[in-house]
Amino acid sequence: MEPFNVLIVDDEQEFREMTIKRLNKRGLRCFGAENGMEALEQVEKREIDVVLLDVKMPGMDGIMTLREIKRIQPEIEVVMLTGHASVESGIEGMRLGAFDYLMKPIELEPLIEKLLEANEKKVLRRQSMDSIRNDNSGAL
Amino acid sequence: MQRMLTFIKELFSPPPSAPPMTPAELKDAFRKRYRNFRALLTANNNALQAMAELEKIYYSGESYRMAVIRSKTTTILVNVYKMISSLLEMSGGRYKDLEVIFEKISHEIEKIIEKKPSFSQGPFILPLAEVGEKDRAQVGEKMANLGEIVRVPGCVVPQGFVITASATRHFLTADHIAEINRRLQLLDPDDLDGLLRTCAEIRKDILDIPMPPDLEELLHVHYARLEMVSRPGCWLAVRSSALGEDAAGVSFAGLYRTILNVDGDGLVAAYKEIIASKYGARAIAYRRKRGYRHEDIEMCVGCLVMVDALTSGVTYSRDPSEEESEVVRINALSGIAKGVVDGTRTTDLYLVSRETPHAVVYREIRQGQGKASDQCADSSLTYGQIRKLAEMALRLEGHFGKPQDMEWSFDHQGALTILQSRPMLISQPQNAQEEAAPSSRAENGEQPILFGGICASTGIACGTVFRVNAASEMPDVPMGAVLVLEHPLPEWAPLLSRAAAVIAESGSEAGHLATVSREFAIPALFSLAGAMDLLADGETITVNASARSVYLGCRQDLLTQRAVRKDIMAGSPVQRILTEALQYITPLNLNDPNAPQFKSSWCETLHDITRFCHEKSVYEMFNFGREYKFDQGAAKRLVGEVPLEWWVVDLADGFRAGADAQGQTIRIEDIVSVPMLAIWQGISAFPWEGPPRVSVRGFGSIIFQSTMRPELDPAVASALTTRNYFLVSKNFCNLSVRLGYHYAMIEAYISDLLTESYVTFRFKGGAADMKRKAVRARLLAEILQTFEFRVELRSDSLLARVKKRPTEFLERRLKILGYLILHARQLDMVMNMPNAVERYKEKFLTDIEKMLS
Repeated sequence: MEPFNVLIVDDEQEFREMTIKRLNKRGLRCFGAENGMEALEQVEKREIDVVLLDVKMPGMDGIMTLREIKRIQPEIEVVMLTGHASVESGIEGMRLGAFDYLMKPIELEPLIEKLLEANEKKVLRRQSMDSIRNDNSGAL
Repeated sequence: MQRMLTFIKELFSPPPSAPPMTPAELKDAFRKRYRNFRALLTANNNALQAMAELEKIYYSGESYRMAVIRSKTTTILVNVYKMISSLLEMSGGRYKDLEVIFEKISHEIEKIIEKKPSFSQGPFILPLAEVGEKDRAQVGEKMANLGEIVRVPGCVVPQGFVITASATRHFLTADHIAEINRRLQLLDPDDLDGLLRTCAEIRKDILDIPMPPDLEELLHVHYARLEMVSRPGCWLAVRSSALGEDAAGVSFAGLYRTILNVDGDGLVAAYKEIIASKYGARAIAYRRKRGYRHEDIEMCVGCLVMVDALTSGVTYSRDPSEEESEVVRINALSGIAKGVVDGTRTTDLYLVSRETPHAVVYREIRQGQGKASDQCADSSLTYGQIRKLAEMALRLEGHFGKPQDMEWSFDHQGALTILQSRPMLISQPQNAQEEAAPSSRAENGEQPILFGGICASTGIACGTVFRVNAASEMPDVPMGAVLVLEHPLPEWAPLLSRAAAVIAESGSEAGHLATVSREFAIPALFSLAGAMDLLADGETITVNASARSVYLGCRQDLLTQRAVRKDIMAGSPVQRILTEALQYITPLNLNDPNAPQFKSSWCETLHDITRFCHEKSVYEMFNFGREYKFDQGAAKRLVGEVPLEWWVVDLADGFRAGADAQGQTIRIEDIVSVPMLAIWQGISAFPWEGPPRVSVRGFGSIIFQSTMRPELDPAVASALTTRNYFLVSKNFCNLSVRLGYHYAMIEAYISDLLTESYVTFRFKGGAADMKRKAVRARLLAEILQTFEFRVELRSDSLLARVKKRPTEFLERRLKILGYLILHARQLDMVMNMPNAVERYKEKFLTDIEKMLS
């Protein structure tokens, strides 16, 4: 597996730190953000591939953050995460271009699988753009 | 007719006149469409699985929580949304109206799931004497009943007042409740320790909420009025009277607190305690189990002047364990009734005829026989009192129209006061065999290790013994254990949701734990002396509560007699929500993809949308080879020992690594496409015998057809349409064969994931007249049907499919198709000859059998 960069956005410190530690152990490069504003700063500062984003956060919530991330970096794939889902937030996230939606409490294996899938989608999209570009330039 | 035309048009419409694509663009288009197709299939699986899970819990009769409904529904909605998005991407925005339909359905579901119960505003406090049936929504079940029975002649209830639901909302505001709900939702439902901790915190927070001054003042005014009608400084019993517990068969017995001996100074604290008891661990576990959201229950509080009781007890207007027998059942003990209902004290039992003069048909003086007491046995009730209780119970039954469960006290002057009356909870119907006498059990040579006690809840169950000793902490009871207790305290109720059966050394059928056991349909055997000593932890036993027996080991012969468990959630608000929500989720209206109603506008449920998306995605995917024109330069000619002319286009990874990418030709050895290789084995299995001999009449028909439809004339057809093309990747193959008059297409995706795998075959046309073409199509259809293809046949157009089968199965199907497209060529010309169908069918089946063996 090619390592890729994951940003964990969650106001629950314990969850955030534990998840980062576990994912790092499994070969992912993880960063943390405590709230929406911090997440946006990280996204601008670093090359983030996939964001794991909690829906319920004080202040700027997950949906607002998702909207902003997609505006700044539309290529980043976002996996939404929530403790007690309201049905609406699930759909709203998908509508705004989230890759998928997970529910807390979440086990490590399905989480890693979902992050890998999200990253794979990003890589594939980039590859297909590249191949068309190369092909067209070759034809000239 | 219209349907047939549409069908044909859809299947065989000519490719759109898009500009040809470069090989890279073609590959990319394929990859994109395929990625969406896969995503759609995965989402389809997830959605259908969540639907199945939701239906399963709905029909299981087991309990489920709002959190589960919410999370499953969200999973379904998210996945259906993904399916729509994928389909729109695959089809370039066709079926856009699905978004609108989805929006509408998801809005309806959301409305159902997030609906809050409505409550009406009323006075904060009502005197009990003014309360009746009409005030149920303000004073709760218990107090409404108590107020109501004053209307029954001769019935005396305590003096008192009720603090209403409106007052509770004034004290415990929506903000408080939102915070409490948030904390409860974060809990793991199986974490009893966590639940207890959180409940203790919530209780403390509620006790810390300041009492609104207006409510406090009103409370003291009403207390002062009670002092005037009874005596100064009178003591009150402060009791819960919850609202929203009215659903059938749900007792909520003993879940909330009752505080005795409260005076004016302690009133506010007692009130808060009762309100806080809504969030006791028992109450929360019970609501979860029975399908109530916390907001479905509101606490009202009754404040009743205490009766100076000499004897108290519970009377059932019919025996709950033997509904058929015409007796009233009375459990009584000296002092106040608390010991009856909390199961700590053994009671005297009287069974009294329902007919006047209410003769005592059975009497069991148990008080003083328990190990807690060494007093000698003496009846707690006189015959006069027994008769009075029976009369009152029957009068209340008459008033309410159903059997009643009545709590009462006789004071020192002999006056009877009714403390509560509510509809009786009936134990589940018993199997007659359960009542077998102890002697008949000896037939198996296995005697019970324990026998006797009181059957508090009927039934038979098997499990491992788990003895509960310390009351201080909630033990971690394994699922399906048989709980063995010293006293059946109501505090143990949360454990019942995990237990298979309950045994206790004390207690009676009138206790709260007995009531809850009956509700959960868990066998309970109480007052079974010596159980704690005789039964060892971890030992497997079978409890036959109905026959008051305990056996060692798991007795299958007894377990088979068990009656079906009742639906524990029946009639609850949570079940109602799921019932309503399911109407928008699971029914399937779109069954037949060929029906004119198979349109997005006919989708009424999420299931309809998944069905529609799935069908259309297959259509969009299968059309890939037809919809995209590709640059002929992309195709490589297959060379080697091959009949006819075949061209191959690599879409992704269909060629062996290292094969000459720039060359104009490719060898079969260089191809790694699993489905293509399977088709090829079928094509090359037997040499083609060449075109059958055609009669003069048959040939004339070809000339005629060519005149009518110039595009079918081989001389007119473009170079592209006369070749046979394979579009391949490792797992995918699309073969189109368009030779002169007939068109055939095989498409397959073969994967380890069954849900993604499919083989499709389309066939149409020929050079002969319609009748002969149709005969050939039918011949092919019949052969394919014998190999488990799903076949649709309209005149001379044939569509055959297999899907969701293992790789090996599909590869064999591809071989068959490969064989058939080669050997059925030009066969239509001879389909009017006698016995032609039978002859060819036999030949084909023999060849195929040989090929597959």
